Amino acid sequence: MATEQQTQTGDGEDEQPLGLTIASGAVAAAVIVPLLWLVKSALDVGFSDALALVTRPTTVEVFLNSTVLVVLVTAACVALGVPLAYLTVRTDLPFKRFWTIVIALPLVIPSYIGAFAFVSAFGPQGVFQRLLEPFGVESLPEIYGLPGAVLVLTLYTYPYVFITTRAALKSMDTTLIDAARTLNHTRGEAFKRVTIPQIRPAVAAGALLAALYALSDFGTPAIMKFDAFTRVIYVEFGSFGRDTATLLSLQLVAVTLLILTLESQIRGDERTTTGGRSGSVMRLGRWKYPAIGFAALVAAVALVVPLGILLTWFAQGVAETSQSLAFQPEYAFNSVLVAAATAGAATLVGLPVAYLAARHPSRVSSVFERATYVGYAVPGVVLGLALVFFGSSYATPIYQTLYLLVFAYVIRFLPQAVGSLRASFLRVDPALPEAARTLGETPSGAFRHVTLPLVAPGLLGGAALVFLTTMKELPATLLLRPAGFKTLVTHIWTAYAAGYFGQAAVPALILLFVSGLSMLVIITQEGYDVK
Amino acid sequence: MQDHDRELRGHGRRRFITAAAAVGLGSLAGCTGLGGESETETDTSGGDSVQQIGSGRSPFGDREITGGVSIAEMPDLSGELTLYSGRGEALVGELISFFEDYYDDFTVRPRYNSATELVNQILTEGENSPADVFFSVNAGSLGALKDEGRTQSLPTDVLDLVRDEFHDPDGQWTGTSGRARTVPFNTDQFDDSDIPDDIMAFPETEAFRDNIGWAPTYSSFQAFITAMRVLEGDDATKEWLQGMQDLGVTEFNDEFLVSQAVADGEIGAGFANHYYIQRILAGRPDAPLGTAFTSGDAGSIFNVAGALVLDTADDADLGANFVRHLLSAEAQDYFARTTFEYPLVSGVDPIGELPSIDELSPPEGLDLTQLSDLEGTVRLLREVGVL
Repeated sequence: MATEQQTQTGDGEDEQPLGLTIASGAVAAAVIVPLLWLVKSALDVGFSDALALVTRPTTVEVFLNSTVLVVLVTAACVALGVPLAYLTVRTDLPFKRFWTIVIALPLVIPSYIGAFAFVSAFGPQGVFQRLLEPFGVESLPEIYGLPGAVLVLTLYTYPYVFITTRAALKSMDTTLIDAARTLNHTRGEAFKRVTIPQIRPAVAAGALLAALYALSDFGTPAIMKFDAFTRVIYVEFGSFGRDTATLLSLQLVAVTLLILTLESQIRGDERTTTGGRSGSVMRLGRWKYPAIGFAALVAAVALVVPLGILLTWFAQGVAETSQSLAFQPEYAFNSVLVAAATAGAATLVGLPVAYLAARHPSRVSSVFERATYVGYAVPGVVLGLALVFFGSSYATPIYQTLYLLVFAYVIRFLPQAVGSLRASFLRVDPALPEAARTLGETPSGAFRHVTLPLVAPGLLGGAALVFLTTMKELPATLLLRPAGFKTLVTHIWTAYAAGYFGQAAVPALILLFVSGLSMLVIITQEGYDVK
Repeated sequence: MQDHDRELRGHGRRRFITAAAAVGLGSLAGCTGLGGESETETDTSGGDSVQQIGSGRSPFGDREITGGVSIAEMPDLSGELTLYSGRGEALVGELISFFEDYYDDFTVRPRYNSATELVNQILTEGENSPADVFFSVNAGSLGALKDEGRTQSLPTDVLDLVRDEFHDPDGQWTGTSGRARTVPFNTDQFDDSDIPDDIMAFPETEAFRDNIGWAPTYSSFQAFITAMRVLEGDDATKEWLQGMQDLGVTEFNDEFLVSQAVADGEIGAGFANHYYIQRILAGRPDAPLGTAFTSGDAGSIFNVAGALVLDTADDADLGANFVRHLLSAEAQDYFARTTFEYPLVSGVDPIGELPSIDELSPPEGLDLTQLSDLEGTVRLLREVGVL
């Protein structure tokens, strides 16, 4: 990864990385160590059992299923996220801010709620079929299986690509495009030769998050009856095959490492840009309406279906309250509390990792950065159990306290902060802190006074992303929360599992509202880019 | 495993109980609201209803409890108890707060999750587990903890509250309520007599072709297959599973959904625990949904939800006494009333159109502890390609 900034940062900063490297390495170690439990448990399985399991035909089939799922979801996320980002940044699409928010919003909907809503809506005797019956629609295409899983996962993960691509487009120097245009490149050519290379790392980063999410998500494949990796692991855990399940989880980690390697190939050459000068905007002309239609269709499918189902539940069931299921505002407070703590902590520990990876690219810094992604791809229940083991064995004072819960969330969602921060650091011209140094600032002073304000939007955006995904997390929360500690999602889970859909609707709607607010933060923080 | 109890909304239960009154449950006049948990909660949180217990009247509604041991006659509970509950909060939360309200100096720290996840959690926590009592939806997860040596014996006088077949022969756990395996069927499509009373005959029953459902990832179903392995052997079980697949069986995520699909006429019959049918009928009394039983085979096993005291319990006596309270007449009445399960203490009757325990014909000589070998069952389900 020989990049421009390497030559530009020069010798002056060579002393700084030692402290940074140690800090970054410590974070990577903290993320990886609990997962050693997986290795320990897998070793307990025994070699012959392990071999038999790995080579079993079903395992191979499930592996292929997961691969197909991840590839299709990732491709679909890029196919939706990149054009939508381009439309909302680079064109004269009317009500751009509105569309930006609406298109990013599906990220606040937990995929398991989305999956359930789609099954309720488009299932064999679902809501939509009944609605469409008067118009002669007697059956809808099959929602179960691979198509349903891909559809739902795409709808609730494409915003990762959308958000990261947007950020890159906004901060990209458009004078380059203008230059290309003056050199008689068509718009298409300019896009291919100037824009694509510049946004590729950001697209890759978003696609990576989407791919790893698709790999680790359990709820969607289970609800869609699609045999992905997570489902087999779940069945093993459910039949007390704990050791076998952890062995399969190790396989999953191996796949994760493969994806991380692939992504670093795609990410390719990264260059530091000199900051956003976004002057030129593409006129859509007669393409305006198709463009609006495209944005509206994606948002409508992703948002209206689950909201409609939740509101139906709400209307049907809210009057009948089981006392132990009565909603209390405390649940919302608890969710916000742990999510905010996690956002803060993840940003803080993500800083050295992201800075080192962006400014001092080397094999070591990239290994540390990649290490922070592993926890993200491990299914929540596996990570939860790993931390149950570590917490109860080595950290009893914090076991079943909020500290361990927040630690679990940080392991799980750190990559979202690191990815966003790293991209921000890459967009800061190293010449700026250099200039501050020549004016007498210490390295840390230059970082605080020059670099940090410049990456503030990315920092806040990353924090908000961590915040809203933490709000949605369920499996690790169930395993690690202190007794009696209830959040919005644990309440949704309790109510849904008991069949009290009406009770699930209220906290779900609150969850969407609060997460929606943090989405506004992501969007408004982007505004600082435009000067 | 997705094994948490499911239940219908309160309004449905209320209607059901009103309907149940007509089939001779006794006087329910003026108690149209008793099924709603909000109302019963109001009843139980007030001091008055706590006073009533000695009189033999159920604190959870207006019926006389004639049998069983009242909590008034049980040792007091005091101190703090950490309860890992595989039974859902919506179903047992009310009962637990009832105990807490009854005793001034007693608090429960509950941790609700699916039974198997809690077993995994307890095993992973090892000797540092904070859990005192584990409360589970099935004998399998109780047996799994016993097999790992994580349990301790319950006092004989606690075990003696239920019949021998409903507690562990070694006294490590006891059942607290019962659940019968049944065949829910659509009464528009079938008569009770159309359903074979031999579970092994199902694959050859052409009427079920592309018209029957199961939930193979659900642990109650896996317990049923485990019973079949114990009773008929692995080969016959494999053949049965293969036969069902050839018949075109539809897969569901849990048995609540199986029962609902039968009620909707999406499929004609299925495999499910008895209370799912009752809970659906509670919400939709007119649903064409019937309950059939097979006889003396894996299809008619009677499994239990139950409890045990962990080896790591801080205060084993408190744990055992808490389990004893789950077998109190009041708690047994609560299970009958709120979860539509079979009370295991004699003298407390089930609610609804259910045969009594004695009228069921579960297979003879099947020890519920044998149902803990789910791993072998999952392996078999895999071999046949069901999972």
